[in-house]
Parts: sequence; structure tokens; C-alpha cells
Amino acid sequence: MATLRLENIAKDFSDGRQIRRVLFPMDVALAPGQLVVIAGPSGSGKTTLLSIMGLVLRPSEGRLFLNDQDLTRLSDNQAADIRLQNYGFVFQQPMLIEGLSVMENVLLATAVQGGRPPAAARSKTMELLANLGLGESGHVQPRLLSGGMKQRASIARALVKDPAILLCDEPTSALDAESGQGVMGILKRIAIEDQRIVAVVSHDARVFPYADRLIKIENGRIVSDTREQYVRQ
Amino acid sequence: MRSLTALRMVIHDRASTAGALLGVVAIVFLVGQQLSILFGLLNYMSVLVDHSGADAWIMSRDVRNADAGFLISDRYVDRVVGLPEVAWAEPVLIGNGLFRTGDGSYESVRVVGSRRPRLAGGPWRFAQSNEDALLDLEAVTVDRLDLAKLGDPGLEAITEIGERRVRVRAVTDGARGFQGTLVFASLEKVREIARTPAGKASVILVRFRDGADAAAALARLRAIMPYASVSSTAELSRLTRLYYFTNTGIGGSFGFSTVIAVLIGVVIISLTMYTSVLSRTQDFAVMRAIGGRKWDIAVVVFGEALIITGVGLFVGFLMLAALLNATGNSSIPSHFPGAVPPILASVTLFVSLLGSIIALRTALKADPAAVFH
Repeated sequence: MATLRLENIAKDFSDGRQIRRVLFPMDVALAPGQLVVIAGPSGSGKTTLLSIMGLVLRPSEGRLFLNDQDLTRLSDNQAADIRLQNYGFVFQQPMLIEGLSVMENVLLATAVQGGRPPAAARSKTMELLANLGLGESGHVQPRLLSGGMKQRASIARALVKDPAILLCDEPTSALDAESGQGVMGILKRIAIEDQRIVAVVSHDARVFPYADRLIKIENGRIVSDTREQYVRQ
Repeated sequence: MRSLTALRMVIHDRASTAGALLGVVAIVFLVGQQLSILFGLLNYMSVLVDHSGADAWIMSRDVRNADAGFLISDRYVDRVVGLPEVAWAEPVLIGNGLFRTGDGSYESVRVVGSRRPRLAGGPWRFAQSNEDALLDLEAVTVDRLDLAKLGDPGLEAITEIGERRVRVRAVTDGARGFQGTLVFASLEKVREIARTPAGKASVILVRFRDGADAAAALARLRAIMPYASVSSTAELSRLTRLYYFTNTGIGGSFGFSTVIAVLIGVVIISLTMYTSVLSRTQDFAVMRAIGGRKWDIAVVVFGEALIITGVGLFVGFLMLAALLNATGNSSIPSHFPGAVPPILASVTLFVSLLGSIIALRTALKADPAAVFH
């Protein structure tokens, strides 16, 4: 099973005149079968941490491993290949591409580097959409869906490749309470039943009850890393 | 899937697609229309040479175009026909005269006289009657497109050119020269109209025998005619076109307007595609985040450009065809050689891709990290 390991990871941003450290050196390891919530106030560095985990941002220091494969010094194209093969993303906004139908948006994740989506991906897409309550919406344009439906479509896009790692950035913040609970329930099920690494960044306290592990970040530092039993208490 | 994504984006972003399409259509239509007029004028420049039916033209020395020779002796004909490669040689007289119209006014015309019975260098296509009409001593032709200008002289109308009585016996089709209206007549009638001395001709047309070595025949003609200029028909046609193209400002004028049309197209394509890509920056960032490489984004952007260019080429050429069809029988010079559409399409494609480069640069800057917040 896949494990994602960050060793001594830190991140600096520069505005050209001065360098500002937004993540201080930290070690984090994520294992499958758990829903990990990374929480903290705005500007605490939780999204930066998620971006580094997702290989869309390079750390200034430290190393990143996926199953002992060092991902720290990958080229842009190598990082894109790893993301394509191993990662699924759910963003704060669904970010579905207008013009493509819901089904095409989902299938794009399997063939974004060209070629036709494999037949298996089509059946997988239909199955996912059906499981997420979007069975009738495959050929619909995203603009015609509600916010919750769009977010579920974006979850389908993240899952269609059967990724080992699912990274979610504030997936419920744009949703009403009921839709948010639905989405978190789905993510929880994916983590436990499918044995995937699922990390959710959120500052929404309603998300915390779904966490098997809660990592709290403040001012770029991990201030607590609690396990399932502690969270439930 | 990248091509499908490009197609879907093109269809969805209707406003920017329409703008970019306008740019492509502007290039195809405006440049095509300019070129058709230019080629139409080029045809006019060398119309007599191209339709002479001769293989060689003998004119006075150091000739710079087919219209600017002085008179030569028509006895050269006897010298030329003695060569074994020569099938025939015919003198042609070209001059100017004033055509008296029905209302008593005058129009300047260029009169071309050829010798009976062959009438080499004479008219080649008729709207009414035929070349037999020119066997009559006082017969002249007028062109269909010049009828209104000449006061609509009907067949058998009697009038004057250069104060000499002529009778309109035929109407030609498309016999127009760069220097104006062409009127064909017999050699004798043109000699009268232009008041040319006897024994003189403007040109001696030469036709080689079938199977003769044209280059060798031209060399022999030059050897026996050291005081004349001997050109193949193709050489003289090219020389005449080049002369007018470079000495009348037509080349510069058409070149400038063509460049302006291309620039307008490039600017329209660039701006609209840039705007379109700018509004899609987030989508490209999503594509990068879910595993797309920069190359994949480039394929989508160029795919959009190719689709728009393809549709624009179709629409542009359709409009151009309609225009050429509408003006084909009018007095507007227009000619569109078959080799031009592929070249124009290739140039348009290149220009469209060039126009999409700014958009591409913007698309490639889409940062996958930007999808997080």
C-alpha cells in the first residue's frame, strides 16, 4: 500500500525583496485507510502543505517520498506523470471545464496527456457518476448542476483513475451544510473502504468529526497531530 | 481527448471564437480578393502576349515590355520563315486611335492589326460573331466589357477610329489590355488608323514547327536578327508583367494592402485568442494539476487555433468564391490561379498559429498550484 512521506519539509516564498517562510520544517507521513484532515486558520500554511504533497509546489527544503520513491527533484513533466498516475484532486471550487459535459470532464482526467480514454474508464465514469447520484447528469453541462452536484462530479474526476492519493482542498466550503456532509461522507468511505490516502484541508469545524486523524497547523508549524480515538473523544 | 477539449472550448467560447474566425476570414477574403485583382491586372498586362498563339516575339532592340517597342521592318518575316524550325511568321501592328462613340465623343483605344488569313495575334474569344468577320477590310472588334464605354455599338455599326471608317463586325470576350480597350482589325486598317508607314510592323510573331527545339530555334533567331529583340512568349510575358509590376506602383500598392490585411487578421486573432485563453487560465491550471504537461496545454491551444483556422478558411474561401463568381463577368479584373488557394491557406494557417502564440504563452503560465485557492 502507498505511503506518502514528507521529511523535514519547509517552504519559503519571496516577493523579490524579502523571503518569507510559510512552512517550517516538518515531518508528515500519510498512510492509506484514513481520512486525514489538515486544519488551521487562514494563512497557516495548510494549503501550501497540500500543494507540496500534490507535487504542484516544490518544497524549499526537505524531501518527499511516495513508497520510498523520492519525488523531491522531479522535472515538471515527471511530476505531471506522477500526478496523472497516482493523484486525485478535489478543489475548493469544483473547477469543472465549461464546454465539456460532466462525463467528458471526468474522462479528461484519464486522457489529459492525449489519446482516447480507455473503454474501462468510460464504464468506471458511469459507475462513479451513478454512485455519486449523478447517473442522469453525465451529458449535462456543468453550469446546469447545483454546487453540490458539481463538487460530486469533481470527486468523480478525482477517482476515475483509481488514485492511491486523494487530496482535497476545502471541498465543503462552497457547499451548504447538507451537501457538505454528503461530500465528507463520500470521502470518508473512499478512504476506508478503498484503502486510499485521503487528505482534506479545511478550516470548517463541521469536517472534523469525519477525520481519522487531525493535523492542526498554525503559523507554518504543526501544533497538534491527533489520532482517531482522540478526535472522536 | 485534447482535441475534443479544444473543440469543446471553441464551441463554448462563442464570442472569442467568432472574433478569431473574423480574423481568419479577414485574411483569406481580403488577401484573396487583393490577389485576385492583382492577378487579373497581371493578366491584362500581358494579355496580347499570352493569347498570341506564337512561340516567339520579335520586336525592336532592348525592349522592356510588349507595349513599348518601336516599329521594325516587316521584311524580317521573309528572313525568319527561311529557318527550318519556323512554321510561320506574321507581322502585327499595334497603335492607338480615338474611337468615335454614338454620342459623338471619343474614347482612346489600342488597335491591334493582324494579317489575313491567319490573323495571328488577333482576337481569341468571341461573345458575338467570330474571327472570319475580320477578313473584311473595314471590320473591327470591340470587347463585351467595353461596349457601354464605347456607346454600345451594335454589330454592323459604322463609326470611326482615328478618323478612319470602321465597321463593328464582332464582339470579343475578355480581350482587355492594361492600357485600355483593345480593338482588333486587319493589318491594313490599323496601318490607316495609326498612320504607320508601309513596310513596318510592331511585332513579328513566330511559331515553331511541332517538335522543334525551342531554345535552339530562339538562339538561331537571335543570331540572324542581331538588331532586334527576340523573346519567347513566356519570357516576354514575364518581362512585361514585371515591368508594370515594378514601374507602376501596383506591386507596392498591392503588397502594402496585403500586408495590412494580414496584420489586421493577426491582431484580431491574437487579441481574441488571448482573451479566450485568459478566461480559461483556471481550466488550464486544472489540466496541469490533474496530470497535464505544458505540451498538452499547447496542443489544446494550437488545436483551438487549427479548428478556428479550418473553419475560417472554409468560410473565407466560400466568400471569396462567391465574390469571384459575381465579378468574373464584370469589368473588375479578377483571376485566381489554382496554385494560390493552397499557398494562401498555408500562409493563413501560419499567421493564425503566429497569432495564437501570445495566447499560448499565457496558457503555459497557468500554474497548477493556483487551483488550490
